[in-house]
Amino acid sequence: MSNDLLEPFQRLLDDVSPPEAVRRTENEDGAPAIWAALRDSGFVDALVSEEHGGAGLSPAEMAPLLIAAGRHLLPLPFGETMAARAIAAGAGHRLEDAGPVLLWPLDREGRARSIVPPIRGGADLALVQQAGRATLRRVVAGGRDGFGFVTAALDTGSAPIASFELAEDSLLYWAAALTVAAMAGAMAGVLDMSIAYVNERQQFGRPLGKFQAIQQQISVMAERVAMASVAAQGVLARPLPGPAALDVAVAKPVIDAGASIVCAAGHAAFGAIGITAEHDLSLFTRRLKRGLLAFGGAQPWAKALGRARLAQAGGTSVDFIRALQHG
Amino acid sequence: MTTLLDSFVRSHIPSSAEALRGEVKAFLRSWMADRPAHVRARSWSGFDAAFSRALGERGWIGLTLPRDHGGGGADAFTRFVLVEELLAAGAPVAAHWIADRQSAPLILHYGTEAQREHFLPRICKGEMYFCIGMSEPNAGSDLASVRTRAVRDGDDWLLSGQKIWTTYAHKSHYMIALVRTSGGPQDRQAGLSQFLVDLSLPGIDIRPIADLTGDAHFNEVFFDEVRLPADALVGTEGAGWAQVNAELAFERSGPERIYSSIVLLDAWVRHLANLPNAAEHEARLGLLLARMAVLRDMSIAVTARLAAGESPATEAALIKDLGTELEQDIPREIGEALAADPSAPPDEELLRTLAFVSQVNPAFSLRGGTREILRGMIARGLGLR
Ligand SMILES: Cc1cc2nc3c(=O)[nH]c(=O)nc-3n(C[C@H](O)[C@H](O)[C@H](O)COP(=O)(O)OP(=O)(O)OC[C@H]3O[C@@H](n4cnc5c(N)ncnc54)[C@H](O)[C@@H]3O)c2cc1C
Repeated sequence: MSNDLLEPFQRLLDDVSPPEAVRRTENEDGAPAIWAALRDSGFVDALVSEEHGGAGLSPAEMAPLLIAAGRHLLPLPFGETMAARAIAAGAGHRLEDAGPVLLWPLDREGRARSIVPPIRGGADLALVQQAGRATLRRVVAGGRDGFGFVTAALDTGSAPIASFELAEDSLLYWAAALTVAAMAGAMAGVLDMSIAYVNERQQFGRPLGKFQAIQQQISVMAERVAMASVAAQGVLARPLPGPAALDVAVAKPVIDAGASIVCAAGHAAFGAIGITAEHDLSLFTRRLKRGLLAFGGAQPWAKALGRARLAQAGGTSVDFIRALQHG
Repeated sequence: MTTLLDSFVRSHIPSSAEALRGEVKAFLRSWMADRPAHVRARSWSGFDAAFSRALGERGWIGLTLPRDHGGGGADAFTRFVLVEELLAAGAPVAAHWIADRQSAPLILHYGTEAQREHFLPRICKGEMYFCIGMSEPNAGSDLASVRTRAVRDGDDWLLSGQKIWTTYAHKSHYMIALVRTSGGPQDRQAGLSQFLVDLSLPGIDIRPIADLTGDAHFNEVFFDEVRLPADALVGTEGAGWAQVNAELAFERSGPERIYSSIVLLDAWVRHLANLPNAAEHEARLGLLLARMAVLRDMSIAVTARLAAGESPATEAALIKDLGTELEQDIPREIGEALAADPSAPPDEELLRTLAFVSQVNPAFSLRGGTREILRGMIARGLGLR
């Protein structure tokens, strides 16, 4: 993936968010030093239009960066903040405070759209959506979840900071799309680590990578990683206001199926060392397993896609797929 | 990130290529109108010379070959659109399929000018059909162990030995055969060459083999001192191994490897559309379509690389493996869904289509290189072994 922005962004991530730094902040609430570096890089306003003082970039242009952020395990709601700032700016609200912002989609009855709450990542704000209305609200730390992350909770006592109209479920699609991109990146991370490990670790007098069973497993991982990367680019292909329901309906089932395979094959390749707390593998697989639980998992999205196909049963499936895709 | 994955950059089919789609659809509507799904599902193995000639008349065979050899001079995207529509409709492409996908590009790259002038225009007209003589009884995945041999006799060659699984040898005009011209099986990749074998020559015996559905598309082919002229050699003597690998790369790089079960899928969609409890099956259908949609994007990404003059062999192998897996899952998923609901049985046509696809689907990951061999190639591309 080549892109003028990607290389400098990757250098920044190498610099500020190496696995050691991620590990240090793994069980903490946010990483102020990493956030400061991101904020100063100007990337948080990448999606904000130029007339509102941003860089006016498209989600498609940011997709490789969002995947790279997942690949680097960036422990902060970077894409979420970018999306929130662009959505708010589009509705005429400029967010003066350049701190992290979470996305918080609710259903019409006000229930969360995901069984796992957002990881707080040092955020004080969340953009919350219910029906056709988005509200900027305060969040506080909610406690530590079973994955060890500090989650966020809406601060129900405080008054909303801003409120504007937003097409129903826009935030859900954005939040799910960003999850897909982060997962695609984490999957690539597992593959890279696994390839390096099987070429180095020796058993029976030769590197594991010489064994055909391992080669086949790594190839299957690579296939799923490539598929995930294209799915992530696809879910972010639509210009602002951003992803549509069926974009997510294509991407989330594909990512989920692939992530399960990549987690299993990655852990198989590493053996016992991958199960240890001090090994980096679980930094990736923990996020993937949490991602599987987010925003409905695969089933309801797959169902929506199937329903859309049945609503136009006349043409071929090629016609249907072509009509889904943007551009 | 791993360089292999960096090459999957999502791309778009340019409108110049999309322009062909409507025309292809209109053409197919008149040809395919009353063919039942179980016939259309045979697409790859549907041999229909009249159909191939009609495609040839429209310039739709050899679409990417240069115009001065009778080709269409179009880019890889235009071919993608054409092939995608042919397969989605279940068009009977077998007669010209191998010549179009493999033989013509091989002759263009490695043939002499005289060979190009003789063969390419006839292929493009849909009048000359080819088959591939690679596999032998004792040389399957291990292709380098072929024993069929051509020995010099004056200016000519004498060809003896046996090929097997040769798709449509019994209806083709020529075979491009990989044979040994020097050394023995211990010499492996060295000493192999490719020949254009005129299948009407004396000394050739072609015996069809029925497949597990009773269809007869592949054959055993025996050569008994078949006299080949000097100009039957294609490419360089002794360079057959490199040529065959280039040929297989042409074969793997199209959209062909995601749509082998699409006729069945769409027949099931029509069945579901009339079902009161269709909602129960939406998720199953959606999962298949999600995979198909992303695989299509991956295929377009590889097509963009082809159009840019690259030959992304590992990427093509990767898509083929994922694609054949989807093609094989489709009949299994549909079978499960239909079987679970005896109160809403499928009509005869859908059931026949399912029976056919679910029986032949193992072949999807055998033909053109098995799943295990492809995964070995991918591993090598990733820097293992
Ligand atoms: C429908 C159909 C059409 C075909 N058409 C043609 C044609 O037109 N022309 C032609 O030349 N051939 C054709 N073939 C043959 C096809 O190319 C071969 O089937 C294929 O190359 C595999 O060879 P094989 O069948 O001898 O299996 P084998 O090579 O004997 O393999 C059997 C099993 O062992 C596995 N295996 C083999 N070697 C290894 C290894 N090193 N590591 C791990 N696993 C291994 C294989 O993956 C497979 O699972 C066709 C096949 C089919 C099914």
